[in-house]
Amino acid sequence: MNVLGQQLVNGLFIGGVYALFAVGYTLVFGVLDILNLAHAAVFTLGGLMALWLVQNAGLTIWTAFPLAVLFAGLLGLVLDQVAFKPLRRRPDTYFSGLISSIAMAIIFESLAMGVFGAHNSRFPAGTVPVVIWRLGGITITLLQVEILAAVVLMMVALTQLLKRARVGKAIRAVAENQHAARLLGINVDGIIAFTFFLSSALGGAAGILFGLYFDALSPDMGRPIELKGLAVIVLGGMGSVPGAILGGLAFGLSEVLTVAISGTSNLRDAVAFTLLFGIMLVRPSGLLGRGRLREA
Amino acid sequence: MDALIQFWAVYGSLLNFMGINCLLGLSLYVTFSAGLLSLGNAAFYGIGGYTAGILTTHFGAPFPLALVAGTLMAGLAALLLGLPVLRLKGVFLAMATLAFGEVVRIAALNLKVTGGAEGLINIPVITQTWMIYLALAGAAYFLARLHRTRLGWAFQSIREDETAAAAMGVNLTLTKTLAFVIGALLAGLAGGLYAHLNFLITPGEFGFATAVNLLIFNIVGGTRAWYGPLLGAALLTALPEVLRGLGVTAGPIRLFVNGLILLLVILFLPKGLMALFQRRPAPAKG
Amino acid sequence: MSKNKGLFRVSVASLALMALTAWGLPQAAEAAEAKIGCAFSMTGGAAAYGATQKNGASLAMEQINAAAGAGGLKLKLLFEDDASTPQQGINVFQKFINADKVSMIIGPTLSNTAQVADRIAQQSKTPVLAISNTAQGITEIGDYIFRDSLTEGVVIPNTIKAIKAKLGIKKVALLYGNDDAFTKAGYQAFKAALAESGIQILSELSFAKGDRDFSPQLTQIKGMAPDAIICSALVEEASGIVSQARQLGIAQNVPIVGGNGFNSPALIKNAGAAAEGVIVGAAWNASSPLPVNKKFVEDYTKKFGTPPDQFAAQAFAGVHIAYQAIKKAGDPNNRAAIREALTQIKDLDTVLGPFYFTPGRDAGSQPVVQVVKDGKFVIFGM
Repeated sequence: MNVLGQQLVNGLFIGGVYALFAVGYTLVFGVLDILNLAHAAVFTLGGLMALWLVQNAGLTIWTAFPLAVLFAGLLGLVLDQVAFKPLRRRPDTYFSGLISSIAMAIIFESLAMGVFGAHNSRFPAGTVPVVIWRLGGITITLLQVEILAAVVLMMVALTQLLKRARVGKAIRAVAENQHAARLLGINVDGIIAFTFFLSSALGGAAGILFGLYFDALSPDMGRPIELKGLAVIVLGGMGSVPGAILGGLAFGLSEVLTVAISGTSNLRDAVAFTLLFGIMLVRPSGLLGRGRLREA
Repeated sequence: MDALIQFWAVYGSLLNFMGINCLLGLSLYVTFSAGLLSLGNAAFYGIGGYTAGILTTHFGAPFPLALVAGTLMAGLAALLLGLPVLRLKGVFLAMATLAFGEVVRIAALNLKVTGGAEGLINIPVITQTWMIYLALAGAAYFLARLHRTRLGWAFQSIREDETAAAAMGVNLTLTKTLAFVIGALLAGLAGGLYAHLNFLITPGEFGFATAVNLLIFNIVGGTRAWYGPLLGAALLTALPEVLRGLGVTAGPIRLFVNGLILLLVILFLPKGLMALFQRRPAPAKG
Repeated sequence: MSKNKGLFRVSVASLALMALTAWGLPQAAEAAEAKIGCAFSMTGGAAAYGATQKNGASLAMEQINAAAGAGGLKLKLLFEDDASTPQQGINVFQKFINADKVSMIIGPTLSNTAQVADRIAQQSKTPVLAISNTAQGITEIGDYIFRDSLTEGVVIPNTIKAIKAKLGIKKVALLYGNDDAFTKAGYQAFKAALAESGIQILSELSFAKGDRDFSPQLTQIKGMAPDAIICSALVEEASGIVSQARQLGIAQNVPIVGGNGFNSPALIKNAGAAAEGVIVGAAWNASSPLPVNKKFVEDYTKKFGTPPDQFAAQAFAGVHIAYQAIKKAGDPNNRAAIREALTQIKDLDTVLGPFYFTPGRDAGSQPVVQVVKDGKFVIFGM
């Protein structure tokens, strides 16, 4: 029973990280209907930036975290300006945006490799205090609790922002109909830029938490999570923020439970993707359907 | 003459890879021309490669037979997959085919007959450069002709506007399935040829990265005529070697220049590289 | 009409592209300088390993050239990146063999790439020295293919025998990467060695390359209470496995046992205190007291700021082995003589220990079993 309990904790935790990664991903899709394939690269650079601030600039993680998140957000602005804005009026903006974001991802990754090298780096020991609780055979660390708390906090903040704040309402208006939003006097370009900022900041935050917990940051750390992140936002329903959260948790649990039930992990990813495939056939719009961002 | 022999010795394999990638570019181009965004063509490529490779390696089948079997197997897989997924649109179709591709890759990693992570080893080396380019020429000719047929017109009308196409009497399900299957047949053919080129194929060569590469070939080259993806595939396959030849040092900088060139093409050549090869329309008067 | 024109321009462009590529071909070698092509993975999945190989090889080149003096044979290493893919590996090999006219080739980093690229070298009779391929069947490709890296098939049985004899291990869990040729080969070697030693395998679990989270697998393993965890992984994953195992509360007295892939200071650096007690069977011992090894570790650390790993050590040794063979052959352009000289190398003083090639052209050096103690790899059982 302890094994299963521990597995549920594992699944909840990794699912939370997937969710945080996916929320930023899906936010851009919800507003612009485009996939930003550089999101994983921003995730990576966010984590590496925090590492640099702690290691080379001697900051504590508490100062480094917001600075690196801000940096990731700025990368989002760069992405918007360089890779998406120039393509916005083209008829094939969907496909060309896909490719230009891949190009930016390659550029970001090569920069990360040039600065940090290809190997794994880690935060210096003692960056966060190591506290481990063992409750009836189930292990939980303070860091896990902190990370889950941070995830929940950011999710709540994002949902409230979208629901109540003026800028959140504007984001939803732009997502609903860009023309109408412009007629209402909303600065559409500004709102899109802000959405990219927000999305990338969340992606960067996910990268930092991921790097802190797994203690291994490298220029290609975003690769495995890129595909999983895609699966998660489809699972939850493209463009749906609550859907991405639900999808993240579902994906994390499916991975963990495959290992727990089959006793092997060869089929871990196969099960997750078959699940995704099945859901696409039964409910093409994902678990929570589309347009939730608009209703939020 | 010596220079030519020398060139061949150094870049013979590169020319082979360019030919294979051109075929793959065409494979996605067909699917694309009916407005379908598939990320499954890399998996069809793998299915063709593994089927043909297993037949020659484990069962001693003659090469032409194996090639046909691999091609048909990829087509069959596309037919079976297409029936449920082709009613999905845009990015949802892309995701469903992506999930399919991952499952195929993981299957190749775990099955015994495919050789797992070490790959299918000891495939007889049979494919010659002329075979690749013959197949490519055939495929290009077929697609150039297809453009002017009723089916080609049906593809295009679906791509422009599905509802209107249906109203004009285009059978959506049939037409889309055909586009999907023809694309898969080409990918399967490319796979069979590729498998017999280098003695070994591994699951990683047919994964997400390859699926994305096919898309890049098309977008960078241009999707309005059959030679667009050829340009994209040829240029992008040669690019790393051209950079190497020009002395761009190994490592991150090569990756950087690759990304930068991709970005510049997409930003400044909206119709893809093929725009460079089309006559510019006369400037509008007035 | 405009279509034909388009086609014409496509052809012109392709020709231009070819010309451009040909233009970049380097010139033939000068006398008294031997060119060695180094095909390493500097981008892509194996980039972390290619990087230290390049460091190790270039350090060897510097020292050799400094010692050669004015009249002596000098080395020029050409580094090319195969981007961790077989396709680019083949392209690199063709360039080395036919354009650069190298004396021999060192590399490639990955076994999968070697499986295809080495065949090109064998066909054109160019000697290849593999410095990190550990899969089966590499040197069997032909009589021009050599390697200085001990295979998992040599290292692992030795390791399993040692842990059985010294620790009395009876039942173990096996954890391995199943999408990588290296880790899969290690898994098979472990499995065979465990069966031979009569050790029971409680469960086999796998992970994928690039995974960061191993807690689901380790949780299962913890539930089975094995005597040891046998693990076939490369160091990037190994560090995560080791630290997460200890964090999940798998006791320090349940040793984690790995092969060549674990033999890197990064394991100790990244896993920290959790690495204590990890047992690593490998081809090279960093704390070996051989003078040549001590000097290598010192020089490398001074030059690159980090201690070397096994990839660097094997690359360093590889360049020395290649240099000896080329020097002995007398002519950097006579590849057949270089091949012959490689087979005759005997008792060469390398960082891997006294070195020779077996009749099958594999490394004749001795495997070691090490344990991490006070943040260092020391010989197990001493």
